[in-house]
Amino acid sequence: MKNIFLLVFFSTIIFSSCKKEVLKQNVYDNVYYEVTPVTLYTSNAEKNKQKSSLQYISILFSDLFNQNIPGSDLNNIGEAILSIGDKGLANQLILERFLTLPGISIPTQTQMQADLNAFITSTYQRFYLRNPTEYEKIYLKNLIQNDSNITPEIVYAAFALSNEYMFY
Amino acid sequence: MKRRSFIKKAGLATAGTFFAPYILPSGRLFAAAGDRIVNHVVLVLFAGGVRHQESVDQAYLTYQGANSGNIMPNMFSGAMPSSNLLYTPWNPIQGSSLASQGTFFKELEYAQGPTGHYNGHTAAITGNYTDVGTNLAINPDFPTVFEYYRRHNDPAKSAINAWWMSEGLGPYPALNYSKHGMYGPMYGANYFRPYSTFGNIGLDYLNNGLTLQPDDVGRLNSIKNFFDSNFDKSASDLPGIINNSTDKEAIHAFMKDVLNRTQNGTVDFPLPNGIPTYEMTGDLINIQYTWEVLKNFHPELTVINTFNLDTCHSDFTGYLRNMHKADYGVGWLWNKIQNDPVLQNDTIMICMPDHGRNDLPNNVYDANGLRAFDHTSDANSRRVFALIVGPPNKVNQNLSLGSAGNPVGQTIDIVPTIAHILGFYDQIPSGMLPGQVLTQAFI
Repeated sequence: MKNIFLLVFFSTIIFSSCKKEVLKQNVYDNVYYEVTPVTLYTSNAEKNKQKSSLQYISILFSDLFNQNIPGSDLNNIGEAILSIGDKGLANQLILERFLTLPGISIPTQTQMQADLNAFITSTYQRFYLRNPTEYEKIYLKNLIQNDSNITPEIVYAAFALSNEYMFY
Repeated sequence: MKRRSFIKKAGLATAGTFFAPYILPSGRLFAAAGDRIVNHVVLVLFAGGVRHQESVDQAYLTYQGANSGNIMPNMFSGAMPSSNLLYTPWNPIQGSSLASQGTFFKELEYAQGPTGHYNGHTAAITGNYTDVGTNLAINPDFPTVFEYYRRHNDPAKSAINAWWMSEGLGPYPALNYSKHGMYGPMYGANYFRPYSTFGNIGLDYLNNGLTLQPDDVGRLNSIKNFFDSNFDKSASDLPGIINNSTDKEAIHAFMKDVLNRTQNGTVDFPLPNGIPTYEMTGDLINIQYTWEVLKNFHPELTVINTFNLDTCHSDFTGYLRNMHKADYGVGWLWNKIQNDPVLQNDTIMICMPDHGRNDLPNNVYDANGLRAFDHTSDANSRRVFALIVGPPNKVNQNLSLGSAGNPVGQTIDIVPTIAHILGFYDQIPSGMLPGQVLTQAFI
């Protein structure tokens, strides 16, 4: 009886030793990318590194076309960027070109208006790799609802040219 | 210390910091806007390494065992070669040579540092010689002429007033501002490499983009501003200069317009009548789009280079042809400037090579059996020239200075000379510019 008690006692000590509780929440963006699950940021404060010009362009292309940019295109765009002194202006011109290319994955105006909440959430996830805060969701929703001339292209361009999109 | 007293003293100290007089090298307090000679300067770096013999001396094929002649009739006075023509002569666009329309420094010196293209460009654009030979794709140590211009003008000038246009890429995009702690990109120039910006790459990747109407731009900016207000970092670390929003919109519209006109073939070509466009060189493309910038923005300071002459390392015939074409391009540009209502009679153009080329040939022969020349810092490769062309009431006309063995001026004198023309030379802190103003050129 005593041996059984000791066995139970030491087993309890061994198998119930301290263990740090790890809380990690991975939210996967399966719905929108459907290629590789992407871990989302929990807040934009986690972004503290600025993208290089080529990182910016290749990520932008992936976000707009759901595929990697071909190497030759990336090289040529790199040369175009190098040939312009104001890199922000270069990025803007390239974005505007991307937005007119066939194969771009962008909802129509009707689709956007049909479910604004889903559009806003999916666009935040697509460009910012995070969910919008409630404030952001409400503000942007009101903005779009109050101006029927805001198109998905304008919203996408605003995301792509924003400061947060320049960081990771 | 009483809180009220502390705040008062701190406020006075801060105000004093803002308003304390800055003692300038000239001994003056406060920077006064200097007198300008004209309001626009165009510096043409006639680069790629120009041998004095085939340019100023008009030797043509003398050093290859044949005849002499002037293959730069727009820039220099002198009879063109009459025989052994290795190029198709283009009639000069200038009625009289540029040398006769200004002051011709026949013998200028590139005194120090390797006769490399980056070094030559850097000396001309910063006014300081450099020995940098590696890791070239970086901004220069010394401030560029663009930074002096933008920082020391009163009132301050935005970047749309200063342009650097280069024929090639490599290290040259980095010459629009320095890494000097007192200056840097906030005082830098706008930059294009037209062959890429407006060539096939530009047409493929920058043209035919989404066109937003002004109202749509307002909507975009409204949303973007909301996003930016929720993010505590700014993309101000993007390499390169950042235009203010007004200038950025103007340059954006300009680029779209020029790309469209390029696609439609309605951009002016610096070619004589009847010459097909396949005769265009990289140098002429750079001159072509520099004119687009000049006529649209009328910038006060523009620096442009040519570079195709560097084929002389292996192709002397190509060197002669490119020199002849680049000479036409410079004459064409000056012609355009003289027919522009804003620029005419208010522009000074300076032409100068980055450096020269060797006296003796290398071991390469071109397809015509002509010897090629490098530039390896021998005495001959330090010989250059400068043309300062401008209005007759501002610039001495038909004046020629210097001779072989008796140089007048150095390549580092161009930056102080530009500062003198645009009236901010006295505002530049002492010790920054070792060169002198080429005062001989001005009335």
